[in-house]
Amino acid sequence: MIRMTGIRKAFGSTEVLKGVDLTVEEGQTVALIGASGSGKSTLLRCVNLLETPDEGTIQIGDFSFEAGNITRAVRLEARRKTAMVFQTFGLFENKTALENVTEALIVVQKKTKSEARRIGEEYLERVGLADRASHYPSGLSGGQKQRVAIARALALDPQIILFDEPTSALDPELVQEVLNVIREVSRSNVTMLIVTHEMDFARDVADKIAFMSEGQILECAEPEKLFLHPEKERTRQFLDYYLQKFTYSI
Amino acid sequence: MGKIFDVDFMIGIIPNILKGIPYTLLIAVVAFFFGCVIGFFGALTKIYKVPVLRRITGVYVSFIRGTPLIVQILLIYYGIPILIRMFNERFGTNINISNIPAVDFMLVAFSLSAGAYLTESIRASILAVNKGQIEAAYSVGMTTRQAMFRIILPQAVKVGLPVFANFFIGLLKDTSLAFSAAVPEIMGQAKIQAGRASRFFEAYIDAALIYWIICIIFERLVAYLEKRSSRMEGGVQA
Repeated sequence: MIRMTGIRKAFGSTEVLKGVDLTVEEGQTVALIGASGSGKSTLLRCVNLLETPDEGTIQIGDFSFEAGNITRAVRLEARRKTAMVFQTFGLFENKTALENVTEALIVVQKKTKSEARRIGEEYLERVGLADRASHYPSGLSGGQKQRVAIARALALDPQIILFDEPTSALDPELVQEVLNVIREVSRSNVTMLIVTHEMDFARDVADKIAFMSEGQILECAEPEKLFLHPEKERTRQFLDYYLQKFTYSI
Repeated sequence: MGKIFDVDFMIGIIPNILKGIPYTLLIAVVAFFFGCVIGFFGALTKIYKVPVLRRITGVYVSFIRGTPLIVQILLIYYGIPILIRMFNERFGTNINISNIPAVDFMLVAFSLSAGAYLTESIRASILAVNKGQIEAAYSVGMTTRQAMFRIILPQAVKVGLPVFANFFIGLLKDTSLAFSAAVPEIMGQAKIQAGRASRFFEAYIDAALIYWIICIIFERLVAYLEKRSSRMEGGVQA
């Protein structure tokens, strides 16, 4: 479970997050949608402190911290309780697919090499890449890289996995293989927060969808309610634009 | 009348000149090693914008790059004895300057010089590694040190390999200046032999060939290393 309360963040004089509250219950999948520049990614990156929030409280399971009190130890702890899947994959270029999954298990979680290897192979199998274990990232397609990244995140057994636009950097024909893996994962009891522009996917996979606009969450509701009966005019406009885009792009 | 060009003499003195190789290699390898250590920390002060230290690094790099190596060598050669004498006077110690071999002074001089150039090369190599790599390392819970040594540096070394190799070749040849501080390396031996018979050209041809062969061997080694490290590009573990 994670709970964010009153998160504020500014880059220079630009306020990107204006007091955001968001809760993801254990085992739930929440999708974060909204226009580019609305603060979705920044909010996500505040959870594992790749961005440092200016104000607010974040609770990850039984660990919580305040914005004003972020020490090196807090950063490490927040990162060790979470995992992230990046838009541009973020696989370690000097490690094979299997090593990408096992590296943190060995170095951070202090598991034995054989134990890490067993876990690594299990998760590569789960994302359908057991046969690519000894390939370096440069020898994998974008879709395969992202699936390795998902395996790496799952293997850490975190309290929550943060997805930062996991399919935005992929060729269109590779998007589905990644979405299918995430869909499969969402059926198990993994807690996930996903920033995405894939509306159909969000609708399909999420327990709740949060719509962000100009640094605030305007609405957070079940997919059917948000898509069919949005409360706010701004949400309706945004969804109309997306539905239109998909209607006309043949 | 002597010969215009004495081939027998040229060949005959080669064994003597070869005696300089250990000095040449010692200075080059030691200076490269300590240069890398200095350069790594120098690069970190610049990358992480460490207050005060990065200014010191800036002045150091600027001074070394702005002065000829031969001047630095002579400054160290004459400067360290003065420093030691001051130290002796101040603290009542009795360090004997003449017990320190000349080559040790040169190890200091060449290391300091290499450190400045390598600061810039290492900084550029580290910055050339995608910023996403360190974020990815943080996201799985690594400390900055773990991320640096396990993820960033291995990639930076690969990126910088051609530059570092080039620098090492330059350093190998620059060691010829150590003779001006009385170190009998390749060039020093050549000069000694040349002076004895007043046959300079023959001796310098020997020196040129020896430097050239050492560099060729080293280039081969680097080509092999580059091939090995490019296995990451091939896609499958070697």
